[in-house]
Amino acid sequence: MRLWKIPDQVIRLAVLIVIALAVLIVVRLRFIPDSFGEIGHYRTDALKEQAALTLHYAGMQACIECHDDIGEMKAASYHRNLSCEGCHGPAFKHVDDPGEFSPAVAAGRIMCVRCHGYLASRPTGFPQIIEAIHNPVEPCTACHDPHDPTPPEVPEDCSACHAEIARTKAVSHHWSLSCETCHEASPEHRQSPRSFLPKKPTERAFCGQCHGNGSSSRESAPQIDLNEHGGRYLCWQCHYPHHPEGR
Amino acid sequence: MSELLEHLQANLQQVTGYIYPNEIELHWSLLIVIYPYVTGLVAGAFILASLVEVFKVKEVASTYRLALLTALAFLIAAPLPLLAHLGHPERSFQIFLTPHLRSAMAMFGFVYMWYLMLVLLMEIWFEYRADLVRWSNERRGVMKLVYWALSLGSRDLSEKAVRFDRKAVYAITLVGIPSAFLLHGYVGFIFGSIKANPWWSSVLMPIVFLFSAIVSGIALVLLLHYVTTMFRRVKPDMACFNKLASFLMYALIIDLSLETLDFIHRMYESEESIEILAQLVVTKLFISLTIVQLLLGTIVPIVLLAIGRFSRIPEEVKRVVFFIAALLVQVGIFSTRWNVVIGGQLFSKSLRGLTVFKMQLGGIEGLFMGIALLILPFVLLWILIKILPPWDQQEAS
Ligand code: HEC
Ligand code: HEC
Ligand code: HEC
Ligand code: HEC
Ligand code: HEC
Ligand code: HEC
Ligand code: HEC
Ligand code: HEC
Repeated sequence: MRLWKIPDQVIRLAVLIVIALAVLIVVRLRFIPDSFGEIGHYRTDALKEQAALTLHYAGMQACIECHDDIGEMKAASYHRNLSCEGCHGPAFKHVDDPGEFSPAVAAGRIMCVRCHGYLASRPTGFPQIIEAIHNPVEPCTACHDPHDPTPPEVPEDCSACHAEIARTKAVSHHWSLSCETCHEASPEHRQSPRSFLPKKPTERAFCGQCHGNGSSSRESAPQIDLNEHGGRYLCWQCHYPHHPEGR
Repeated sequence: MSELLEHLQANLQQVTGYIYPNEIELHWSLLIVIYPYVTGLVAGAFILASLVEVFKVKEVASTYRLALLTALAFLIAAPLPLLAHLGHPERSFQIFLTPHLRSAMAMFGFVYMWYLMLVLLMEIWFEYRADLVRWSNERRGVMKLVYWALSLGSRDLSEKAVRFDRKAVYAITLVGIPSAFLLHGYVGFIFGSIKANPWWSSVLMPIVFLFSAIVSGIALVLLLHYVTTMFRRVKPDMACFNKLASFLMYALIIDLSLETLDFIHRMYESEESIEILAQLVVTKLFISLTIVQLLLGTIVPIVLLAIGRFSRIPEEVKRVVFFIAALLVQVGIFSTRWNVVIGGQLFSKSLRGLTVFKMQLGGIEGLFMGIALLILPFVLLWILIKILPPWDQQEAS
């Protein structure tokens, strides 16, 4: 006699589970693609499939091979960081055969407004226009060269190159201070900026000229105790100097 | 391309502050709200059933089978919103063929399978086996075959076999309670473990999810019990209603305290995200969080249940009060899920801006699809009740 008899129910369930497992094994053998798991948790063949997909974009490097003039011009302009196909649309076919296929030339206003139309969520200082009132109707390219949107003159003002900083400062508490108050910049900086870098403040005392307790160089500047306030840190580790916020 | 731009442009008009481009549009929409809601109902209904079984709460014993079937019906429907959201439902079985053990999301398949196959179906099978054998003996034609197949060909009605069934049900229930905790705790974990999102990232998340699941499950069983009693025209079992209402009230109070704890914790910790979250709560989520979730979905039901339990009003009125409270709880828990899923995507990771959620009507992620997915489990439940009537037993006795 058996000591412990397996109940009928358990046997029936066990049979069911065994069948399910068998099905699972068969399905696994049948459905898992051959190349799965060879080099990772995916099919190795998927790589080949991806590589075989039709290309749509060629990338800026390809364009410059033939359009080197435009490439150079753009590289020195505000638009240096934009890709050609961001404005001209996918142009791989054009690279393959320039005579047969021409990329789009967006000559209207919509394309530029996509980046330059005013939106509250764009970063402060990014050049934005209100499309309806900025020289309406005329295509943007009538006045701006899309590959070099600014005139190539030696700029008068710091804002010509540091537009974002200048615009930020203009709406800050430091709006009344000129750049030269804090940066000693030689005229050469405007022609060859990277070779003649201007000076930047280096110590706390600099800001203290106006903000230290008892200083009288600027009446309207709020004053703080230079020894106590902000500990040993440089002021601009906490306050962005071009947009200082104290409240 | 231009269509896409126009679409985004419409949302952009309502963006406030600064947000990243890929945050303008929400990626987890209504379906992902429904998924934790439905899974919560499963876990809640099952936990109620288990408590009845393990602690032998006599008053609510009559809801035991109903709760089990409810859990099953909702469990079958639970993965559908996910499948619809993923867009390629026909590929889902591959998750099981080539399991990825380090992907939390891929693990859902296994948590689900464990719960469906090894806990719920087995428990229901043992619970119903003797009845299935009996029905297949009594019926004729197709139904005879159906019952025979469902009983897996089992014939044994001896006392010993039936006793074994009971023991098996008890044992499975013991395994089932932690499994149910796991199922919904898992859903909370999916959100709570996203450390980049300060609205979600919280170790309390799985626990809060679990208790809101229990709340919604009890409320659902109460609603179903009310409706089925009405349709079957049997004398309402007031002791059962009272007990369910008490359970619901206690669960609600625990749930509310946990949520409050979470809230206080966040306020006190006051991480750098607190400002944008505060903005979120007082602007975009004000109605769904403060009004619907907190006031209508938690406080009003607690008050109603307390009135129903402790005041001397006629029984019919009492039941209606319970019914309304349970209904409000459902609405409240649904908006809890909404506030988690949608709320978590309304603010920018830059913590500097808020976006909006525009619900579509049609389409696979739209409102109509959502409504259909919420109705489906009730249809399934109706079919299950037709095949496996949960009441035979008592009426016989
Ligand atoms: C193999 C050399 C070559 C390459 C590489 C090339 N182009 Fe061109 N592209 C040409 C030639 C030649 C023309 C003039 C064809 C014509 O006038 O029909 C041209 C014309 C154009 C035009 C003007 C079309 C018009 O209708 O006036 C645009 C815009 C343009 N290319 C953009 C691009 C972009 C963007 C890329 C990089 C993805 C690119 N090209 C790469 C050779 C090239
Ligand atoms: C800011 C958007 C923008 C970018 C970036 C841009 N283009 Fe253009 N491009 C235009 C527009 C707009 C026109 C049409 C100008 C017109 O109608 O006068 C144009 C015209 C052209 C033309 C034909 C007319 C001409 O001036 O010879 C070529 C060729 C061309 N682009 C090539 C390029 C290449 C190559 C690049 C990348 C190095 C590039 N573009 C990057 C907007 C752009
Ligand atoms: C893909 C986005 C994009 C598109 C499209 C685009 N731009 Fe720009 N534009 C930029 C960026 C980025 C800058 C540099 C901003 C900076 O330096 O802060 C810039 C700078 C400029 C400036 C200089 C503004 C200043 O600071 O004084 C002008 C003018 C301008 N763009 C005009 C145009 C015109 C005209 C078009 C359409 C032909 C155009 N842009 C299309 C991104 C774009
Ligand atoms: C009639 C000529 C004209 C047309 C057309 C025109 N602009 Fe300008 N744009 C100017 C001039 C002049 C300035 C510099 C003075 C100023 O800021 O208004 C300027 C400045 C800008 C600036 C810099 C704004 C700033 O705050 O520094 C941007 C960006 C710009 N334009 C984009 C566009 C775009 C995009 C279009 C097409 C929708 C366009 N422009 C059409 C003449 C024009
Ligand atoms: C012709 C364009 C141009 C003009 C005009 C210009 N700058 Fe610059 N400036 C630059 C460039 C380019 C850099 C280098 C930025 C970099 O290295 O990333 C620079 C850098 C600087 C720096 C940072 C130096 C550092 O060590 O990081 C300061 C400060 C500065 N400029 C101030 C000014 C002031 C003040 C003016 C006006 C008197 C001015 N610039 C005008 C182009 C310009
Ligand atoms: C209140 C004094 C103050 C004024 C006014 C001021 N700056 Fe600065 N700027 C600073 C300080 C301080 C730093 C150094 C910040 C650092 O090292 O992080 C700095 C850094 C810079 C830099 C280097 C990199 C950066 O973006 O921070 C540039 C470029 C610059 N300033 C340009 C300008 C220009 C252009 C103006 C005028 C429109 C201007 N600043 C006005 C105090 C000033
Ligand atoms: C550790 C960070 C920190 C540093 C370093 C720091 N500040 Fe501040 N500063 C603050 C904070 C925070 C506030 C606003 C709260 C307050 O009023 O104390 C503030 C406020 C101010 C105010 C406004 C006071 C008012 O009454 O409105 C001024 C002016 C100011 N700081 C100047 C400076 C100067 C100058 C330095 C360098 C000597 C400096 N800060 C360094 C953090 C700092
Ligand atoms: C030439 C004098 C001068 C210098 C130098 C100067 N500031 Fe100021 N600053 C002012 C004035 C004037 C105001 C008040 C402007 C106003 O009334 O809005 C001000 C305002 C402020 C505020 C208060 C903003 C608020 O919210 O009230 C802070 C913070 C500040 N500056 C920080 C700095 C720091 C940091 C430096 C050094 C990099 C600095 N300042 C250098 C003149 C100066």
